[in-house]
Amino acid sequence: MIDVNAYLGHFAFRQLRHNTADGLVALMDKKGIARAVVSSAAAITYRDAQSGNEEVHRETQDHRDRLIPLAVINPAYAGWKDDLKICADDFGMRGLRLYPPWHNYRLSDTCCFDLVAAATERGMVVSIPIRVEDSRQRHWLVDVPDVPLADITALVKAFPRTQFILVNGAGFAGSPLGRKDSDLPSNYVIEISRLTALLGNEIGQLIASLGADRLVFGTGMPFNYPDPAILKIKVLDASEDDKEKIRRGNAAKLFGGPAG
Amino acid sequence: MKRREFLTAAAGIGLSAAWAGARAGAAPKDGPEQKPGQPPGKPLVIDCHAHLHHHGSSAWEEDDRKLIEAADKLGIDQLCCSILTPRRPATVEGFRECNRWIADGMRRFSGRVLGYCYVNPGAGQPALDEIRRCVAEQGFMGVKLYNEHTCTEPVLFPVVELAIELGVPILQHAGHMNFFLESQPHLSDGGHLAELARRYPEAMLICGHVGGGGDWQWTIKVLRNAPTVYLDTSGSVVDDGIVEMAVRVLGTDRVLFACDNSMTAGMGKMIGADLPEADKQKILGGNMAGILSKRRSR
Repeated sequence: MIDVNAYLGHFAFRQLRHNTADGLVALMDKKGIARAVVSSAAAITYRDAQSGNEEVHRETQDHRDRLIPLAVINPAYAGWKDDLKICADDFGMRGLRLYPPWHNYRLSDTCCFDLVAAATERGMVVSIPIRVEDSRQRHWLVDVPDVPLADITALVKAFPRTQFILVNGAGFAGSPLGRKDSDLPSNYVIEISRLTALLGNEIGQLIASLGADRLVFGTGMPFNYPDPAILKIKVLDASEDDKEKIRRGNAAKLFGGPAG
Repeated sequence: MKRREFLTAAAGIGLSAAWAGARAGAAPKDGPEQKPGQPPGKPLVIDCHAHLHHHGSSAWEEDDRKLIEAADKLGIDQLCCSILTPRRPATVEGFRECNRWIADGMRRFSGRVLGYCYVNPGAGQPALDEIRRCVAEQGFMGVKLYNEHTCTEPVLFPVVELAIELGVPILQHAGHMNFFLESQPHLSDGGHLAELARRYPEAMLICGHVGGGGDWQWTIKVLRNAPTVYLDTSGSVVDDGIVEMAVRVLGTDRVLFACDNSMTAGMGKMIGADLPEADKQKILGGNMAGILSKRRSR
């Protein structure tokens, strides 16, 4: 399995376990996850997100066969172009994670468009977590909304050459992002950690509408137990070929390297 | 579910071979009690917080069937279900109708669906009559309370006293947010349940959906010194460590497995929790079976 939705480091509002590279790899071994796409949990609330990227770079250096680091870049903050260059050229980071509501900008802002354009020029993927935590448990200091799916719809349309990975989201089946007739480019994949596999079965609905090529496995670890996402694929009413695409194949196309 | 089917399902979702093997000897049955011949300490898997679907939805029958199919896939033997009115406060006719549909569900899915009697305690005597009728005459296993009243309000006291008399638990919808939830001004939280438990230490109170009720660390900590309050694990939140913290702070005996219809979230948390197998067995069904065995009426 390849997990496109994993994290390292500390989170501001809750202690995390398994949040070092060694700890996360040990958890991956236990759960049968070959590779994981990671970014800094601390950078979500650091003013200077680049400090988090430096931490992730140091942590992952000895685990590049297992951990694929992404850069958290805040385009509304000073020096993002320098940070992007360092993350791509020096740290070998393969993509971005964007936190518009946490970093006080919107996906439609000019600065964000500039960042996505620059990342695309470098061949980097752009991962957008729809949320970090369930809003019901939010800390009293913060009230951060989910990224509106409508904003993502506009972004994927504006950047048809960019490869987007949408993580920690739900409700796609009822939005243009989940409909085959919405005239959007097929430049985005949807990660399954918050999608249902039973009852409402949003994963099944998205396979029917977009195809299994557009879904990717992710857990949200170590914020989340990885097991619910693993369980979803196990109980999903889909062909083994489709499941294999979701577990590994689609992400392997995005990140290359050993298929694991 | 046949033994071979259960073993396949249980092994397939990651339950341990030892647990699955022990469980395979215990087929779903009509009542919650362990029957003679069932290996001791090998409880059924009981989801203590589930919902059948309101018949106002045209898809209710299909949705009920899907719930049972999901339970089959996840190795859940019994689901303790209620139906809530779409709008609150529930009227007397509204909750009676929901309970009639639960009784129907108990017949349609005999041995799989156990029934909570849902009432609005503000209804007074009709709510008490409904609980007595459902539990004593129709075999319901507990009382479900939602958010019409905070559970420390005196209007609830007769309901709690009746549940004690009948020997059934009360599942209280609960949550604690670090902000005021305008849509649920009378929402109960773990602190309210702890207060109610101090007034009624004989009551079996279940604090609903720690994984869907906001700040779960707060909820677990506030219940530490309320030994007669159980905590159900349900909800869509699958934060790492939630089950382990509940066990560490409350003790294994006070934690109850549930999904609240978030099926893979509910079972996935249990698979992921880093706990001894014996503890998981208790949480998955043993503790709830103990609660159900205390019912004083049939």
